[in-house]
Amino acid sequence: MRQQKLAYLALPLLMAAAFTSEARADGETIAVFTKNQTNPFFQTVRVGADNMAKTLNAKTLQYIPTKPDSIPEQLSQIEDVVVKKPSAIVFTPVDYKAMVPGVEKINEAKIPVVNITDRSAGGKFLSFVGADDYSLGLETARFLLKTLGGKGNIVIIEGVKGSLTNVDRVRGFNDALKETPGAKLLASQPGNYQRLQALQVMENLMQSNSQIDGVLAANDAMAVGAIEALDGANRKAQVIGINGTKEAIDAIKSGKLLASGDYNGFAQGCLGTMMAIRSLRNQPVIAEIVLKPTVITKDNFGPFDVPLEQRTCPTFEEAGKLSAK
Amino acid sequence: MTDITKEAMMPPRSFLSQDAIQVFYRLLAALLICAVLAVLSDSFLSLGNILNVLRQASLTFFIASGLTLVVLTAGLDLSVGANVALSACIAGTVIHKTGSPALGILTGLACGGIVGLLNGVMVTALRIPSFIATYGMLWVLNGLTYWYMAGETLHGFPAGFRQIGSGYLFGLPIPVYLLLVFLGIGTLFAQRTIWGQEIYAIGANPVAARLSGIPVPRRLLLVYAVSGTMAGLASIIFLSRLNSAEADIGESLTLPAIAAVLIGGTSLFGGVGTVFGTFIGALILTLVLNGMNLLSVSANWQPLVTGIIVILAVWLDMKTRRRAQ
Repeated sequence: MRQQKLAYLALPLLMAAAFTSEARADGETIAVFTKNQTNPFFQTVRVGADNMAKTLNAKTLQYIPTKPDSIPEQLSQIEDVVVKKPSAIVFTPVDYKAMVPGVEKINEAKIPVVNITDRSAGGKFLSFVGADDYSLGLETARFLLKTLGGKGNIVIIEGVKGSLTNVDRVRGFNDALKETPGAKLLASQPGNYQRLQALQVMENLMQSNSQIDGVLAANDAMAVGAIEALDGANRKAQVIGINGTKEAIDAIKSGKLLASGDYNGFAQGCLGTMMAIRSLRNQPVIAEIVLKPTVITKDNFGPFDVPLEQRTCPTFEEAGKLSAK
Repeated sequence: MTDITKEAMMPPRSFLSQDAIQVFYRLLAALLICAVLAVLSDSFLSLGNILNVLRQASLTFFIASGLTLVVLTAGLDLSVGANVALSACIAGTVIHKTGSPALGILTGLACGGIVGLLNGVMVTALRIPSFIATYGMLWVLNGLTYWYMAGETLHGFPAGFRQIGSGYLFGLPIPVYLLLVFLGIGTLFAQRTIWGQEIYAIGANPVAARLSGIPVPRRLLLVYAVSGTMAGLASIIFLSRLNSAEADIGESLTLPAIAAVLIGGTSLFGGVGTVFGTFIGALILTLVLNGMNLLSVSANWQPLVTGIIVILAVWLDMKTRRRAQ
């Protein structure tokens, strides 16, 4: 972690170096755009991108809005990058609709660009690499309902209302509930992806519902918040989260969290960067990779319990197999 | 000017003044909300739920109580939430590294206090308007916290330490005791001490306050330092209640704290308001969210209702004040 911090400090120097000395034939510079520095998920994306770039002997430049998910900031970062002209861009829009004009600017500047994580509503991309929020919600909820024997009282803790990830995840939760007539949805309340808000919502819901058997949380931080509330009230329920963060893996290991849906940030970073570099080297790329959802449970957490720095990126041959389509 | 004595500038504030009337209105509003919720939901008046509401209101109150003093001087501290985030992350690291909760608590309080002091220096020595100084500080703190955490989450703290935020004593949550203690200290300080009276005087008329011999810069420094230290205290409660710290907690804490101060009847123009009013303000905000959770009000309505209540409270306040004058 210490080294990583130094790397952030060294970023301006690297940037200067990258643009003063003309890159060698295989020393492409890939600009990687992520949404914020606060969500651990994007940290896994960045480590994946760096890992792949290093393997292929290219460089990355990280662009992260200082204010999380800031639309104007990402737009001005795009303006900067268009002037600096990296070899290619790996792009996560902070907002899938609002950033379309930004993507069009990149297209006009003829810089090849790969879309990862959130699918942009417009613009031309070499390739899309992402996970499917709907099936993540569906599969994690199915797993919880199966564990409960197809019955019980369920609550949903939603993320930020109207955000793409939340809409799809919650739709997945609800469809799993519809398949399970024995289960009863007691409430679907917002936690805004925040731990504290989820904890308080759970405390409040426990007051009006004497029996809660399952909690479907739209991300891991909220799942862990809900568990704190349950522990505080000496009550038990099966809880699932989404994202597969380190904290969630620890909670699965200790038996507090039933499961987490892996959003596969590391693989998204790896494959997005791989597609960008392959296209620069005139190698074939896969136009669309939608990673299969993995439900991380106490039976399969092993591979996810490895520090990010020690993980290895999938190969091009494996990439095709990882896709659900 | 020589015959203007300190006493003449500041008639002693009796608690049965306009402030008391304003507090009375607010208590009435809170009781009204309670009555409505008690009718609508069977579980609202349960002891468990009342303790819930008090514990949830306490975190907002700790932040808002220090902020009240700042607003009384006609200032604003926009950095409180970001201060909580940085203090929590640093205190959490100290506890992890040293294994000593006591050291962690001291570090958290010190970190919060130092940030507050820096705000005070900017406002007094550099004469930067508090709104701008603390807004700048918000960015500085966010930057430091994001860099320091690098997308990671700190979690898992000793059971003893967890008692502060989640434990009970004689059936009451420990944060509720702290709430009562700081409510008492805050009220006594503001209403019964010379320093408190001087703070009101500065807010009412800074020029008159200076001419009547009040050391304005020193009182302002104190006020900002107290606000920062209370953010430090909130960070400790946060850590111990949620068992974790992450970089993005700040944003969700600042606005509710400001709202609590305003709903509580403290004027943004300074000189008018009480710490007790702020407590009622935090209570009203919490009650509304608690009620909507209990009644399973759709997620879309929650921010809308909260917003309307803030606007309504400030409007009613201005209306009743005008009549009183």
